[in-house]
Amino acid sequence: MELIWYAVFTLLLSGYFALEGFDLGVGLLMPVIGRTQETRDRMVAAMAPFVLANEVWLVAVAGALFGVYPHLEGEALFGLYPLVVAMLLSWVVRDAGLWFRRRIDGPGWRRFWDAMITAGSLGLSFGWGVALYAATTGFGSSLLHPFGLLLGVVVTLLFAWHGWTFLGWRAPETAGITRTGRALALSALAAALPALAVLGGSLPYLLDHSAPASTLGVMGVMALPFAPVMVLAQVWVWRFFRPGRSAVRTPSFF
Amino acid sequence: MDALDLARTQFAVTGSLHFLFVLLTLGLAPLVAIMHTRWTRSGAPEHERTVRFWGQVYVTNYAVGIVTGLVMEFQFGLSWSGLSRYAGDVFGAPLAMETLVAFFLESTFLGLWIFGWGRLPKWLHLACIWAVTLTAYASAWFIMAANSFLQNPAGAVERGGRMELVDAAALFTNKTLVFSFPHVISAGLFTAGMVLVGASAYRLRRGGEDAAFFTRSMRTGIVTAAVGITLTVGYGYAQFGGIQEGKFKGDTAATPLALMMDFGNLMFLVAVFLMLPLVRFLPRWRWTHRLLMILTPVPFVLAVCGWLARELGRQPWMVWKKLTVADAMSPGLTPGMITVSLVGFTAVLGLLALTDYALIARLIRRGPRDLDLGAAAEERPAPALSY
Repeated sequence: MELIWYAVFTLLLSGYFALEGFDLGVGLLMPVIGRTQETRDRMVAAMAPFVLANEVWLVAVAGALFGVYPHLEGEALFGLYPLVVAMLLSWVVRDAGLWFRRRIDGPGWRRFWDAMITAGSLGLSFGWGVALYAATTGFGSSLLHPFGLLLGVVVTLLFAWHGWTFLGWRAPETAGITRTGRALALSALAAALPALAVLGGSLPYLLDHSAPASTLGVMGVMALPFAPVMVLAQVWVWRFFRPGRSAVRTPSFF
Repeated sequence: MDALDLARTQFAVTGSLHFLFVLLTLGLAPLVAIMHTRWTRSGAPEHERTVRFWGQVYVTNYAVGIVTGLVMEFQFGLSWSGLSRYAGDVFGAPLAMETLVAFFLESTFLGLWIFGWGRLPKWLHLACIWAVTLTAYASAWFIMAANSFLQNPAGAVERGGRMELVDAAALFTNKTLVFSFPHVISAGLFTAGMVLVGASAYRLRRGGEDAAFFTRSMRTGIVTAAVGITLTVGYGYAQFGGIQEGKFKGDTAATPLALMMDFGNLMFLVAVFLMLPLVRFLPRWRWTHRLLMILTPVPFVLAVCGWLARELGRQPWMVWKKLTVADAMSPGLTPGMITVSLVGFTAVLGLLALTDYALIARLIRRGPRDLDLGAAAEERPAPALSY
């Protein structure tokens, strides 16, 4: 049972990196390749249908952390207190940018929220690198450790590349490149790699610190019937919003 | 203030903010789903306008509900790691289910509903908003289950200084859950109804176009509010059967409780014995509209009072008679740390909440035209076309 929930947890966290990674990447690239408002609108519109389905993976990670590794939950979040607060604020600001940017017409309004999307994406991407390094040291190292900062840069660059590949797949005219679904899968794997490596390294520790079997059992029984619906809903999003469906052109809500 | 007071303030501020938005979400979701059902069956443009307008109010409100919720979820680990150490094996289960199952599906289906507009087959599109409603209710149920465990730690025993789950059925049929969940759900309906009434009153009072549109919305709102408040009051009193002994002894919890009950009863009388019988006339009686507008914030205030009563009444316990709030606080949490996060969260979330309410007010002022939700390409002048 511990092993199954470890697999679920790994799937959720690496899934978050692989999926939300490109949303954050697109946010990072907005000032770089989205020089005009129209290009930025297209970039946001390209990721918009996926964002809600992607970011929720991290919400699930946090929930699973609480349910499966309750002790680690307190230790990890508290150990990284200032970082977690900064990352949460980044996430909040990024989401607000997406929801608000089109609610009022006006170049200043939209430019401001676009800047918030980029700032939030940067805070989250960089923060993940720092957090992953801290996890490898058992949350004992300084948050400003050079290796942590370096990993922050690496994750940020990985996400930006992943976002670029995504744009090349779904909105090639903004990215200036054309990428296949296979290339996107590859960049997704690369984006998930840091998370996979850290989780792989902590396998013995996590198995040792799982919630008791009774709790894991109850959660399994309750979650299992919904697992197919969850998989189906996610697959549906990807099938429905894949490129080629672009014949219908509507203004995006985000 | 010491770290404990600051941590409690942070939870109260973010929690209250979150609940203001969630409350309206819970009430509007089924209303929008019903509006959408009518549109799907009739195909009438009038019905479509109704879904798009109230749907946009719903999703605009939803945005801040999400972001405040994120902060809530992570705060348990940030400030209250003592809770997960002592009772995480039990308390974590409903929270995990909420995020893993309910919110995961809710967010995915909401994305499909918003971005699949005009592209999904119409019955599947309709199914999405019903899925969103259902999973929103499931979310509320899991969260209330987790909270009820804190009120009354049923289904678990203490072993070796930690709580252990022994009876999952007892956890999910907690006596402090069975009536509090429908109480909250009905309060959401009442709130959404009053928002429909208040917004329509504003528009009808101003006159001009869309009188027919807002006359219908006001009637929907009145009926919803009357049903909602009746159930809220009923399930409210029903909760007293399962309440912990001595919960409302002190003034701190008794005051918000009394406020909620007195004004709740008053609203019940107003909604059921004045508004409902006059449902045909109120849209035309312009002199009542200012009063109806003034009533709009009342459900929000009462709902926050309800939460304060429930949570303050539990003090000083985090888990009733098992773990104190002081012991649940993360060891080593300093006033400096929590001050920085408290200021950051309050400033950012507070500003976003104000912005969001301004956007909703602006949407109502402009009425059901040039809506972003479900916009087709030709509707917007010079749109930035995209996929």
